[in-house]
Amino acid sequence: MLESKQIELAKKDHRYFGVLYERYFEQMYRFIFKRLGGNEEASGDLVQQTFMKAMANIAKYEDRGLPFSAWLYRIAQNEVNMFFRAQKKNYSVEITDRQLLSVLEESGEEGVTQEDLDQLIEIINNLEDSQADLLELRFFQGLSFKEIADIYGVSEANAKMKTYRLLEKIKNNWKNKS
Amino acid sequence: MRKFKRTSETNPTEPSKEQMARYKDFATLSHQYERIAKRPKKPIYKDPKLFLFLLIIGIVFLLLFWNEK
Repeated sequence: MLESKQIELAKKDHRYFGVLYERYFEQMYRFIFKRLGGNEEASGDLVQQTFMKAMANIAKYEDRGLPFSAWLYRIAQNEVNMFFRAQKKNYSVEITDRQLLSVLEESGEEGVTQEDLDQLIEIINNLEDSQADLLELRFFQGLSFKEIADIYGVSEANAKMKTYRLLEKIKNNWKNKS
Repeated sequence: MRKFKRTSETNPTEPSKEQMARYKDFATLSHQYERIAKRPKKPIYKDPKLFLFLLIIGIVFLLLFWNEK
């Protein structure tokens, strides 16, 4: 059955939402799990909350030509951000050196030392939340520009532009620190 | 607040199929949703018609009780 039909059925009766839940559960769990740095239990809670909110608000969902998963990602993104804000202490998310290197490689930097990576982490931790989110989606979650654009409801070109401006800012901060 | 931290691991953490299966439970989610959705939207004291109806019943019983006395 077409996804649009399943969505229409789920709008009328929440039990039909089960098909969508089955289809997107793992994708959403992976996304939240990585964003929380591998916290299994909290990811389980947040993914259920994400689907609960999606089920409660599916009547308001409008098909604007974007994939249904983009709408779910947006809800999951909000849930994760709310989770971070609710933490009394700083919540650590582990990032591998390879993921950090991918940020510098995209900025055209080569011959990076361990100290450079420490500096980069410091710069990333001082970014605004929305900027850190963008960086995380692109380089730590490995989403494509198209996927990022769908989540933010902007064009692919706009998503690219925002990312490259952010990389430019990181590069400048990094050079100032070096 | 979130803070990023470097790790020496080479591969980013990925959840296993078993981990995901532990949390995949549409029946519970659906049950929880029904409980929330079926809750009366307005509390009784905020529904003027129902509040008036219950008040009248209360007054009738009070009057009957006094008459019997």
